[in-house]
Amino acid sequence: MKKFTRTLLSVGTAICLYGAAANADTLKIALAGPSTGPVAQYGDMQKIGVFAAIEQINKAGGINGMQLEGVVYDDACDPKQAVAVANKIVNDGIHHVVGHLCSSSTEPASDIYEEEGILMITAASTSPSITEKGHQMIFRTIGLDSMQGPFAGQYIINNVKPKNMAIIHDKQQYGEGLATAVKNEVEANGITPVMFEGVTSGDKDFSALIAKLKMNNVDFVYYGGYHPELGLILRQAKAKGLDAKFMGPEGVGNPDISKIAGEASEGLLVTLPQSFEKNPANQAIVQAIIDKGEDPSGPFVFPAYSAIQVMTAAMTATGSTDTEKLAEYIHANTFKTTTGELAYDEKGDLKQFSFVVYDWHADGTKTPAQ
Amino acid sequence: MSDTFLYLVQQLINGLTIGSTYALIAIGYTMVYGIIGMINFAHGEIYMIGSYITFIVIAGLLGMGMVSLPLILFIALVIAVLIASTYGWTVERVAYRPLRGTNRLIPLISAIGMSIFLQNYVVLSQGSRDIALPPQITGGWTFGDPNLFEVSFSYMQLFIWVATFVSMLVLTLFISRSRMGRACRACSEDIGMTNLLGVDTNRVIAMTFIIGAALAAIAGLLLSLYYGVVNPFIGFIAGLKAFTAAVLGGIGSIPGAMLGGLILGVTEALTAAYFPSEYKDVVSFGLLILILLFRPSGLLGKPEVEKV
Repeated sequence: MKKFTRTLLSVGTAICLYGAAANADTLKIALAGPSTGPVAQYGDMQKIGVFAAIEQINKAGGINGMQLEGVVYDDACDPKQAVAVANKIVNDGIHHVVGHLCSSSTEPASDIYEEEGILMITAASTSPSITEKGHQMIFRTIGLDSMQGPFAGQYIINNVKPKNMAIIHDKQQYGEGLATAVKNEVEANGITPVMFEGVTSGDKDFSALIAKLKMNNVDFVYYGGYHPELGLILRQAKAKGLDAKFMGPEGVGNPDISKIAGEASEGLLVTLPQSFEKNPANQAIVQAIIDKGEDPSGPFVFPAYSAIQVMTAAMTATGSTDTEKLAEYIHANTFKTTTGELAYDEKGDLKQFSFVVYDWHADGTKTPAQ
Repeated sequence: MSDTFLYLVQQLINGLTIGSTYALIAIGYTMVYGIIGMINFAHGEIYMIGSYITFIVIAGLLGMGMVSLPLILFIALVIAVLIASTYGWTVERVAYRPLRGTNRLIPLISAIGMSIFLQNYVVLSQGSRDIALPPQITGGWTFGDPNLFEVSFSYMQLFIWVATFVSMLVLTLFISRSRMGRACRACSEDIGMTNLLGVDTNRVIAMTFIIGAALAAIAGLLLSLYYGVVNPFIGFIAGLKAFTAAVLGGIGSIPGAMLGGLILGVTEALTAAYFPSEYKDVVSFGLLILILLFRPSGLLGKPEVEKV
C-alpha cells in the first residue's frame, strides 16, 4: 500500500512538472476593464475583440511558438479597483495588458504598469493626460479627447449651428475632458455656450437641469459622459417637452441608450470611431464574431482587436516578449491593423485617428449623419 | 406672470416630487432609530429591491398581455410591498435581533454588512446593468406662456404626490389610533418600561421594520416608474439622501422625516436652478451641517434626555 502511494505521488509530481512545462508555451495577456457595473458593456466589447484576435492568432500557430491566453480582470470602471487589479496583474506575473477602459481607471493603473515594466495598450481610454507623464510602456489604439473634442466642435459649428448651446458633463475625467475640449473649440469659433455644467454620475433626477435648459431656450446640448446619465436626461427632456438636439461622444454610443431613453434617443448625434465592422477587409473577423453569437458592432471591438495585433506584431518582429524591446519597437514602427495603419508618436498616442458623426436611432442602430 | 416666476414654480414642483420620495424612504430610518436607537443602513437596499420587484412584476404582467394600467400598478404595489416587507422583517430577524443589547456599534456594522450583502445578491441574481422600462404613466398638464416659459406638471408627478400623501396619512393614523401604533410610541419613549408592562417589544420592533420596508417599497415603485431605470446601486445614494432627510428633520420624529425630505428635495432643485448643478449636493449637505450646528437634534427632533 505504501509503495502504491509513493508511485501515485511520483506520478502526481510528474504531471505537475508536465503542467509547468506546458505553461511555458502559453503567453498570458491580461484584459483589464469593467465586467460588472453600469458600463460593463464596454468591457464586453473589449473581450469580444481581444478573444477574436487571440483565437485567430492561435489558429495560425501562435506567436514565436507560443499560444496566447486571455485572462480577464474586472475593475468595474472604478479607479480604486483598477489599482487593485493592476497590482494583481503584477503579482500574477503577467507582462502584457490590454486595457483599462475608463480613462479614470487607466490613469492610476498605468503608473503601476510603467513602474513594473508591463506593456499596456488601451483600446478605449481617450483622456490625453494618460500619456502626458512620459511613460514608455503605455500605448493606445484609439484617438484622444483632444482629437474627438475639436472634431465634435467643428461639426457643431459647421453643421448644427446652434443658437443657444449648452454643454453638460459628468464631472469625470473622460466626460469633463471632452466637454472642455468641445467648449474651447466652439468658443474659438464664436459660439459661447449659455451653460457649462456638471451632473453627478449615478444621479437619476435631472428635472431641475432640464427646466434650466428650457429656461435658457437651449436648442442644442453637448453631453460629455456615459450613456446611463444621458439616457435619463433624454428621457426626462422628452417628458418635459424640451425641444433640443443632443450630441455625445462614443461613451454614449451603445444600444443600451435606446433601451433607457426609448424614442427620445432618436436623432441623437454621436461621434464614434468609424464602423470598422463595415470595412470589407474585416468581414472574415466580423463573421467569426457573429458565428460565436457575439456583436461585432461595438465601437471598441476593433480597437481591442488591433491592440492584440500591435502587441503580437511587435513580438514577432523582435522575436521576444521582453516589454522594453516591444515598447521600443512599437514607438518606432507602423502597424497594419483592422483599424487601419497605426503609427505612434513618442508619447504612445496614435499619430492619426479619425472619428465619424452618426445619427442614433430609437432601435439602437446608427447611420452616418449628413 | 413673468418667466422667472414660472421657472420658480417649475423648480418647486420638481423639488417637491423628489422630496416626497426622500420622505417615504426617510421614515424607515427614523422609525427604527426612534425605537431601538440604531441606523438601519440596509434600508436603502430594501428600496432598491422594491424597485426591482416593481420592474419584474410590471414587465411580467405586460408580457402576459394585461392592458389595464391601474390593475397592473395595484398588483405591482401589493407584491412589491409584501416582498420588501418580508426582506425588512428577515433583515431584522437575522442581522439585528441576535445583536440586541450589545454595544451600539455592533448592529451598525451588521447593518453595513447586510447592505453590501443585499446589493451584491441583486448584482449576482439580476446582473449589474441598468434595466429600463418604457414610460407607463405619460402626459400631463402644461401652463404658462409658451413664448416665455411653459411649466409642466406630469400625471406621474401628481401620482407621486398623491401616493406619498396617502401613505403618510395612513401611517399617521396607524401610529396615533391603532393599538400597535400606541405600542410603537410607548417603545420609543422607554422600551424597557414598555416591556415590563407586558408589551411584546420584539413584535413591535419587527413591525417597525415591516412598515419602513413597505414605505420604501412604495418609494421604489414610484421612482422606478418615474425614472424608468433601475440598477443594483440605486439604494446607496437614495439611502444616503433619505438618511440626510431624516437627520435634517430630527431623527426619531416621523413628521420630521416628512419635513426633512421635502426640504432636501426643494433645496436640491433650487440649487440646481440658480447655481451650476454640480453644487447641488454641496449646498444640501452644507444646509444639513448648518441646521445641526444650531439645532443638533434636527428641525422637529426632541433633544435627547439622559435616561437615569
